[in-house]
Amino acid sequence: MQRKRLVVIGLALILLMAFASMAMAAELVDGRFTTTRKITVEIYDRSNPGGSTPEDNFWTDFIKEGMLRDHNVEVEFVAVPRWTEDQVINNLLAAGDAPDIAVTYSYPTIQTYANMGGVVDLNPYLSEYKDLLPHLWDLLGDRNIYWNQDPDTGSIWAIEAILFQNKRINTFVREDWLNKLGLDKPTTLEEFEAMLRAFRDNAELLLGADADKMVPYSTSFDIGWRNDHLFASYVPEELSDREMFVFGFDDRRLLYPGYKEGVRKLNEWYNEGLIWKDFALYGAGDSTEDNMMKAGYVGAFMHNWDYPYRDGQEGIHANLQRLVGEDAAYIAVEPFKNDAGIYRKFLSAPIDRKVFFPATNDEPLASLLYLNWLANFENRRFLQTGEEGVHHVITADGAVQALPVTGEKIMNSPQNIDYTIVINGLDLGDPALTSKSIALNYAGVDARFIEAAYVITDNGARYGKNFQVGEITAEEGMGTVLSEKRNTLLAQAVVAKPGEFDAVWDRGFTDYLRSGGQAIINERAKKYDAMY
Amino acid sequence: MEKTWAERRRSMNNYLRQYWSLYVMLALPLTFFIIFRYIPMTYIQIAFKRYSIIQTPWEMPWAANNGFQYFIRAFQNQDFIYAVRNTLLLNFLDLLVGFPAPIILALILNELAFPKFKRLTQSVAYMPHFLSWIIIAGMAKQLFAPTNGLINIALTRMGFDTIPFLNDPNHWVGTYLLLGVWRNMGWNTIIYLAALTGINPELYEASAIDGASRWQNIRYITLPSLRPTIVTLLILNLGQILSSEFDRPFALSNPLVNSVSNVISIFVYQYGIRGLQFSLTTAVGLFQSVICVIFLFGANALAKKFGDRGIW
Repeated sequence: MQRKRLVVIGLALILLMAFASMAMAAELVDGRFTTTRKITVEIYDRSNPGGSTPEDNFWTDFIKEGMLRDHNVEVEFVAVPRWTEDQVINNLLAAGDAPDIAVTYSYPTIQTYANMGGVVDLNPYLSEYKDLLPHLWDLLGDRNIYWNQDPDTGSIWAIEAILFQNKRINTFVREDWLNKLGLDKPTTLEEFEAMLRAFRDNAELLLGADADKMVPYSTSFDIGWRNDHLFASYVPEELSDREMFVFGFDDRRLLYPGYKEGVRKLNEWYNEGLIWKDFALYGAGDSTEDNMMKAGYVGAFMHNWDYPYRDGQEGIHANLQRLVGEDAAYIAVEPFKNDAGIYRKFLSAPIDRKVFFPATNDEPLASLLYLNWLANFENRRFLQTGEEGVHHVITADGAVQALPVTGEKIMNSPQNIDYTIVINGLDLGDPALTSKSIALNYAGVDARFIEAAYVITDNGARYGKNFQVGEITAEEGMGTVLSEKRNTLLAQAVVAKPGEFDAVWDRGFTDYLRSGGQAIINERAKKYDAMY
Repeated sequence: MEKTWAERRRSMNNYLRQYWSLYVMLALPLTFFIIFRYIPMTYIQIAFKRYSIIQTPWEMPWAANNGFQYFIRAFQNQDFIYAVRNTLLLNFLDLLVGFPAPIILALILNELAFPKFKRLTQSVAYMPHFLSWIIIAGMAKQLFAPTNGLINIALTRMGFDTIPFLNDPNHWVGTYLLLGVWRNMGWNTIIYLAALTGINPELYEASAIDGASRWQNIRYITLPSLRPTIVTLLILNLGQILSSEFDRPFALSNPLVNSVSNVISIFVYQYGIRGLQFSLTTAVGLFQSVICVIFLFGANALAKKFGDRGIW
């Protein structure tokens, strides 16, 4: 508790230093500080098997050396577990220990801290130093930089990284099982269901002695994410922009009309024995389900658009090929049409992680220069593609083909997205070259799998729009509580007995609305109508 | 005859001259309590004020409704009501199942004839105490998961239905209690075994001469001798009735059993630490402490009424 007092003293010091550092901006000679500055930067820790220490490895050395050389800034990385990042960054902020450059996918967390004076307003710094940050502006543009600007006060608590390939989710099925059973790739919900039943009923044929381990369809506690395409197909096509905004605060789109019927379908599957029964027991980051996929027990699932192909030799695809056989593979399919017959997917606008500076940051300029350094094409290209001959080879047509890497030079995340916090997705400068290279970017995976996934994942996409209506005060502090309630509601609805589904859903949904959901809906509707 | 003021001062001086070193020794623990227990307590006022990360509690503005805004909000919050209910439910059942278990185990150990076997059993029984709940929760999933859990695999192979140990609220409560007994029973016997060694052996010799059976020994000598220990521990336990462990329900819970596993500490974690509503959750914490103190006094008074010594 003494910490509070320290925080206050700390903040006073920071204010002082902030003034001091503004005065010292003049001390920048050729982009370099005359005295060495020091910043700390958040880095996600994915703890993947065979991965390197995220805060100290080949890539961090590259960044550290570069920042010291170009700007005379020392960089130190602070690891934060990827799958519980919003909780951990919350704890760090509450403790006053957050890194100078922090990253999260949860904007409400930033907003809440900003309201308590815990976050730096970037607006004055961005205006003052714009000329020093050309690469950042080139990459993100006014759109992403001013995305979160408050329409009244002009404050910017976080800038949005750019989502270069706006890819989200895919439905994967075992291609070799389809072949064994003489089935075509499912193109409708009915065919998909028939396929799941065929998996279930032919367990002996498909898994032999392991028949009792058969999981026709697997999902996780995060029902909303892991069944997204199914649910999206139940949302009516004539959904308005206003509805998308008013109901859009839940990023799993729980409040969209029609969602309940999608969950009901999942509930039917569960009660037919088509879904992995243990899904709710394992929390974020648990590897139990991945291991079942690797061992070849899982027939179909929905997940991030390239999920089975990630992680090279440690990934699902490579393990499947080793443990089950050369022809064993997951392929992306597109079975879920909406009421207008479109394979509709809901994608966000091209924004990704939110980068912000906690109030404990006493080096705003050095921190902005860090982001600018990452946005520099040469630097991010190296981080994304690595060394020629080690991480990739250049093919005859100029595309960049990734090579499998193990050991110290391994990338812990696809294209090092965890380090390139201003961009998510490969960018080689030329769109045609980029998409050609992406297909080659999964070492050890046949390009046709990536191409199928790449095309399907945003086929029929409807993108989110930015409505700057200012802060929605009803959302403050409610983000995690409501996400938790959503996960609870969805998991309980999926496992409900068929006759009890409506009762379970209504109880959970009412609780969700009463616990703050309705207040947010009302405020969003009001602010939207006032603005547009 | 009344002592004069001078006489009293002289005796006081004598007393201090004799015992000053004891008081000096007391200074260190007192300083500890003042710095780490009493000064932090001033932060309780966060419960009555609007929290801000950049102000000291003294500077924060008072909350609405004479400072009771956050208490009112807590009691209007359905989640909080459920959390209180679940905390009371789990703690009460834990007391019901978990409290007698070490007494029974201690009595059994006490009756064992082979000292070596007794020592081995005792060690094995208290080992689980050193495992954290996170590890136990991991083991529980390996054992009790509906399709991947060892026990349910065995049940299915033998042709029985699976038992939803972890994924059905009612079964979950059972699993929660039994894991608690498994982890803590052995450890909690230590204090009873210590009390057992303090029983005068002449009592047993006398009863042997009178021809008492083992049961009669337990009924009329051992249990009555343990009674003060049992009462003391019961009072202490009742003082904890509304306090809640965090790691045990948090590690064992999952979305399917939230309706029984969300206790006050999880409420505080979700709303306070993750939702950053520090005033609300400080209010909840204060409420919790007040109830615990009431229970502690109540249990103590009750114990005294029934002829026991109580804890003060």
